[in-house]
Amino acid sequence: MPGNKEFGERIRQLREAKKKADPKFSLRQFAAAVDVSATYLSKVETGQFAPPAAETIKKMAKLLGTDADELLALAKKTDPELGNIIREQPKAMADFLRTAREKGLTAEDIQKITEKIRQGKKP
Amino acid sequence: MKVKYMKVEDIEAAALCLLAEYGRKFGPVEKPPVPVEEILESHLGLNLGFDDLPKMLKAPDVLGATWVRDRRVLIDQSLDPSVHTVKEGRYRFTVAHEVGHWELHRHHFLDNPAQASLFETTPEPSIVCRTSSRKDPMEWQADAFSGYLLMPKEMVFSAWKERNGSLDHYVAEKEIAGLSARWGLAEDERPAVDIARRMALDFKVSGQAMQIRLIGLGLIKTEDPGPGLFSG
Repeated sequence: MPGNKEFGERIRQLREAKKKADPKFSLRQFAAAVDVSATYLSKVETGQFAPPAAETIKKMAKLLGTDADELLALAKKTDPELGNIIREQPKAMADFLRTAREKGLTAEDIQKITEKIRQGKKP
Repeated sequence: MKVKYMKVEDIEAAALCLLAEYGRKFGPVEKPPVPVEEILESHLGLNLGFDDLPKMLKAPDVLGATWVRDRRVLIDQSLDPSVHTVKEGRYRFTVAHEVGHWELHRHHFLDNPAQASLFETTPEPSIVCRTSSRKDPMEWQADAFSGYLLMPKEMVFSAWKERNGSLDHYVAEKEIAGLSARWGLAEDERPAVDIARRMALDFKVSGQAMQIRLIGLGLIKTEDPGPGLFSG
């Protein structure tokens, strides 16, 4: 399986920054905490192995105190939770996403709409 | 590479000093096992990884390698204890051995411009540790360092006292002869006796390494000196 250098380097960078103050982030302890072998984690970090499953990436993000979506995007994966969200309202949600894309909404536009919804202002 | 002769006392002092420095930063290490990966990764700030080293370095018996300028240590994946739990002891010994190179020998690679330029332009590691080069002085020093770091004298003495109630030595001559006969071992192969194997579990080292340390500290004697030797 082809690896992903960018993802691996990011994980290594985040882990290295944490491990200097907290030995829990040593290679083996961190690998054990996300249920993978130390060799596997090491080879993901050097880009020899492909990134792990989305669930493992989410676990990594949580421990490293970073945004799971950023890591998932680097790994070219989507949060499996998103599939569930679409399946709950398949027509409406798919329509919502497709329309956003068709209309060429930028990340900033989407962020604005999200913020409005978050503040309870239903359209 | 030629390294200067070092007295074992100086190697032991370097190992104890490192352990104390780690303790000041992350809390004192009073009981085994010595957190050797944490010393390498958190205290020294080196990067640790696993790879197929015999394949990478084209030598059949490579267990560890250090890239001094890159601050990187690789251990052969055949020793990964999260895959092969029985390799824990050998794995930890190899990590401590690479820590030994870092503490005792890194300046040879950082100060020497010829070495430095050689290694800067090639992906070759500064130090390659092979089982077949154990007699090389640099390798021997790193092995000694590893033993002192993983099994510090005071820690071994208190573990021995806890188990046996005193610091009296144990004469293992008969047990070793019995084990050798049972396993059909040659005379130069010395099997680990029961007390060494039990203490090895606490220190997370191999039974062999524990036994060598216990013999070195005079807690295990392989020959019965006999009652009249010192009195007569």
